[in-house]
Amino acid sequence: MATILLVDDDVDLVEMCRLVIEHRGHAVKSAYSAAEAREVLKTCAPDLVVLDVMMESETAGFELAREIHEARPETPSIILSGVHSATGVPFRFEPDPTWLPVVKFIDKPVPPTALADEIDAILKK
Amino acid sequence: MDTLRLLVVDDEPGMRQGVARALRNYKFGLPDVNGDVWFTIDAAETGEEAIGKIASAPPDILLLDHKLPGMSGLDVIDRMGRPEAGMVTIIITAYASLETAVTAIKHGAYDFLAKPFTPEELKTAVRKAAESLILTRQARRLAQEKRALRFQFISVLAHELKAPLGAIEGYLHIIKDKAAGSDPAVYDHMIERSLIRAEYMRKMIGDLLDLTRIESGQRKRELATIDVREAAKSAIDTASHEAKARSVTMSLHCPASVPMTADRAEIDIILNNLVSNAVKYNTDGGRVDVTVLENAGTVTVAVCDTGIGMTGEEASRIFADFVRIKNDKTRSILGSGLGLSIVKKLALLYGGDVAVKSAPGAGSTFTVTLTSSPEGQKARGAQAQAAV
Repeated sequence: MATILLVDDDVDLVEMCRLVIEHRGHAVKSAYSAAEAREVLKTCAPDLVVLDVMMESETAGFELAREIHEARPETPSIILSGVHSATGVPFRFEPDPTWLPVVKFIDKPVPPTALADEIDAILKK
Repeated sequence: MDTLRLLVVDDEPGMRQGVARALRNYKFGLPDVNGDVWFTIDAAETGEEAIGKIASAPPDILLLDHKLPGMSGLDVIDRMGRPEAGMVTIIITAYASLETAVTAIKHGAYDFLAKPFTPEELKTAVRKAAESLILTRQARRLAQEKRALRFQFISVLAHELKAPLGAIEGYLHIIKDKAAGSDPAVYDHMIERSLIRAEYMRKMIGDLLDLTRIESGQRKRELATIDVREAAKSAIDTASHEAKARSVTMSLHCPASVPMTADRAEIDIILNNLVSNAVKYNTDGGRVDVTVLENAGTVTVAVCDTGIGMTGEEASRIFADFVRIKNDKTRSILGSGLGLSIVKKLALLYGGDVAVKSAPGAGSTFTVTLTSSPEGQKARGAQAQAAV
């Protein structure tokens, strides 16, 4: 059993991922903003973090991903975001050791089971 | 101050110098332009030289002799194409005939000037061309800004519609795959949440249509004498179900009747939005007070709640499109982010406005002022529309 931290400002997105991930036997902590996630991280050491990008600011998730990587380089993060379609940037955001230190970038929408599969695959490594 | 570049193309040196002399210190003012419009003058002797100069530094105004040695004035117009930034051409001709004029205009010239002409005639023609050019450029700039705003609006709209759709799709995937275990209550909960998100998506589309109708002026407004008291009562009735569920008490403070000239549907939109927000953003067991006053041709509606309130910074943003205050208290409250923007636009249409007084934890009071007579609405509404 692992502990997963879900960070997204959409309550239903957090809820649906929680239902599936808990059913697979993991524990779930949730936060609805990057600021809340920072609070949760003070008292909890998750095994994996799933992050939205556009929350308090357009890039709140990117900043949080860097902070997590710096403080706990052993904790993998997954970005789950609609930032590509929302901003229409002509390039793809990809995991990058310096500026986007996450193990995976997943575009919304994704079936919660597919996200759970990704999480299980990363935890197995 | 606006400086326009003018290129005179004529094989007669006297004509080139005459034009330069007449326009060198010539300037004039335009209503929507800050400062005067004046000219810098360049000259070319032949069509070929003119083409070269136009290609390297396109002038704003081209004063072009019809009869040049080698290529003619019309050939020059045909060869240079239509510059992107817009350029106006005045053809100078010694053979002033209707036929020459028509041919020149067909080729894309803006005007023509018959030789010989006085400095005053030249100035009049150049001024007319400059005015046309500046107005065209202003119109184009405004159209571009409008397109950019529209694009931004649609981008945000698409994003806002994708969020509930994503929630519904996600829940449906789980239900289809039975991916959340065997407890039926869990699935009932997911269906319930999907229905709630679908309902708010529908509301958002409704708000969007309201907004589009107001902004486009397409909807036929049915102005009649209505009673604002009736509209306020109806808004309270509409919100009563949700208010009851959360033990929120609603009261109306209003004279026996408050007549005003209005489209009832528009007044309903204003009141429904404000009363529904007052319930949505309230605390369980809270109060909503709706106060309607009529004074000296102005109807004032104040909707006061005992809810979660907001900061001054938040209050300053909430009347813009798609703005929703996101914090741990508003997280579970759904909305389109368009309601207050619609209220504001409608209030302006009635020669009035909307304001909010609020503090975190201390509730909010939204006050809408509306001009009750059609004459007042027209006068003040038009001013407000122009200012938007």
